[in-house]
Amino acid sequence: MRALSSNLRLFWQGTLLSYRALFHWLRPAQYVASKVFMPLAQMFFFVFLGTFATSAANAGFYIIGNAIQITAVSGIFGVTMSVGGERETGTLPYLFGTPANRLVTFFGRAFMHILDGMLGVVIAFAWGVILLGLDLSRTDLAALALTIAVTTVSTCGLGLLMGCLSLITVNVMFVNNFVYFLLLIFSGANVPIAELPNWMQAISYALPLTRGIAAARSLVGGASLADVAPLLWTELGVGLVYGLIGYVLFSWFEFIAKRRGTLEVF
Amino acid sequence: MNVRTLLKYWRTILIVAEMTIRQQLMDGFIIFTVLFQPIIIALLALWMLKGKGPDYAIFVVVGSGLTGLWSSLLFISGNSINAERWSGTLEPLVAIPTPFEVIIFGKNLANVIQSLLSMVLGYIVAAFFFGYDLTIVQPWYFAVSLIISIFAFISFGLIIAPVFVMNPGVRAWQNAMEFPVYLLCGFLFPIALLPGWTTPISYLLPPYWAAVALHGATTVGTAPSEIFFAWGMMVLFSLIDLLVASRLFKLMLYKARADATLGME
Repeated sequence: MRALSSNLRLFWQGTLLSYRALFHWLRPAQYVASKVFMPLAQMFFFVFLGTFATSAANAGFYIIGNAIQITAVSGIFGVTMSVGGERETGTLPYLFGTPANRLVTFFGRAFMHILDGMLGVVIAFAWGVILLGLDLSRTDLAALALTIAVTTVSTCGLGLLMGCLSLITVNVMFVNNFVYFLLLIFSGANVPIAELPNWMQAISYALPLTRGIAAARSLVGGASLADVAPLLWTELGVGLVYGLIGYVLFSWFEFIAKRRGTLEVF
Repeated sequence: MNVRTLLKYWRTILIVAEMTIRQQLMDGFIIFTVLFQPIIIALLALWMLKGKGPDYAIFVVVGSGLTGLWSSLLFISGNSINAERWSGTLEPLVAIPTPFEVIIFGKNLANVIQSLLSMVLGYIVAAFFFGYDLTIVQPWYFAVSLIISIFAFISFGLIIAPVFVMNPGVRAWQNAMEFPVYLLCGFLFPIALLPGWTTPISYLLPPYWAAVALHGATTVGTAPSEIFFAWGMMVLFSLIDLLVASRLFKLMLYKARADATLGME
C-alpha cells in the first residue's frame, strides 16, 4: 500500500513538474499561439484545400480528420520534449540516479499531455461546429469524447517512443516534425486510406490516429459506440504497444548509458 | 537601406549568402523546413487534388514550393538576427563598417534560394512519382516572376527579423503564422474560397502577389496584364519593405546600444 501511494505521488509530481518544466516559458500568448491557434490554422488550411479538391459537402471528412489529428501536437511534440528535454536540460543523470519506479516515471511524462491533447481536439471540434458548420446532431457525444480520449492516449504512446529516441539523437525536432507531418498523410486525416497504395495502407494501420479518425467519422455519421468499439480497442492496443516499446527502450538506454558513461553525450 | 546600398555591397551579400547556405546544410530543422515539409505538403495536395485533373499538378508544385519559401522566411529568416545572438556573433557583426542590414539581406537571400529547392523537388515528385506531364505555359514570365518574388520575399524578411528581435511577444506567435499565410496567399487554392473580409489582408501580403504571378505564369488562360500587375505590386511592396526595414534596423541597433542589450534576449 505504501509503495502504491509512493508511486502515485511520484506519478503525479512527475507529470505535473515535467509539464510545467516543458512550458517554463509559459505565457498565455505563447500557449495560445502554439497549442490553439497553430493547430486550428492548420485544420482550416486542410479543410479549405479538401473542400476545394472535392466539394463543400465533404467538409465534414476534413474537419473531423484534422480535428482529431490535432492531438498529435501534444502527443508527438509535447510528450517527446517532456522525455527528451531531460537530456537537453541536464537533468537526465539525476533522473536515472533516483530509485524511482521507471514505469511510473516514464508514463507520467505523458499524462498531462493526454489532457492537453484532448482539450485541443475539443476546441478544434468546437471551431468546426461554429465556423465550418460541422453537424453533430446525430453524434453520440459521450462516445465521441471516449474516441478522443483513446486516440490521444494512443498518440501519446507513439510520443513516448519518439521521446525515447530523442535521448539518442541530436535532431529531435527533425524527427518530431517528420513524424507529425507523415501522420497527416498516413492517418487518413486528409486522404482516404483506401486511396493510398497497399504498402502505405499497411503503415497507416500500424500507426495511432488512423482508427481513431475512422471511429470519429463513423460516430459523427450516426454510428453507435458498439459499432466503433473494435476500432477503439485496436487504437488503444496500437498506442500501448508503442508506449511499451518506448519503455523497454528507455530502460535499455539507461542501462547502456550507465555502462558506457554516455548519459549526456550528444 | 536602399537599392544603392545593395549594389554597393553586392559582393558582401553573395559571400554572406554562400556562408549561410554552407552552415545551414547541416541543420536538421532547416533541412526539414526547406525540403521535407514542402514535399509532404506537395504529396498531400497531389493526392487530394487529383480529381482536378493533370493540369493542376503544376499548380501544386508551385504552391507547395511557395509554402517552403514562406516557412523558410518565417522560421529561418525570422530568426536570422537572433541566430547571431545565440551564437555570440551579433556584436562583431554590428561593429563592422558594413551595414548590418546588408548582412541580413545576404542571409535572407540564402534562405530564399535554398527554399527554391522545394519547388524543384516538388516538380520531381509530381513528374516522376505521379507521372504528370508538367509544363510551364509562359517560361519567361515564370523566370521574371521568380526573380521578383525572391526579391520580394527577401525584403519582407528584412522586416520580420527586427520585429521578432524587438518584440518577443510577436515572436511567440511565430508558430501560429505559418498556416494562415498558406491560407491567405492562395498557395494551393484560390482565396475566393475564403470569407470576403480576408481578401484585403491577402492583398497586403507580398507572398500573395508572388503566388498570383507564379501561378499565372504556369497556368493556361492567365492574361499577361494580371502577371504584370502582380510584378508591380511585388516591386512596390519590396521598396516599402526596404524603407521600413531601414528604419527598423536603425531603431533596433539604437535601442540595443542604448540599453546595452545587444547580446541579450
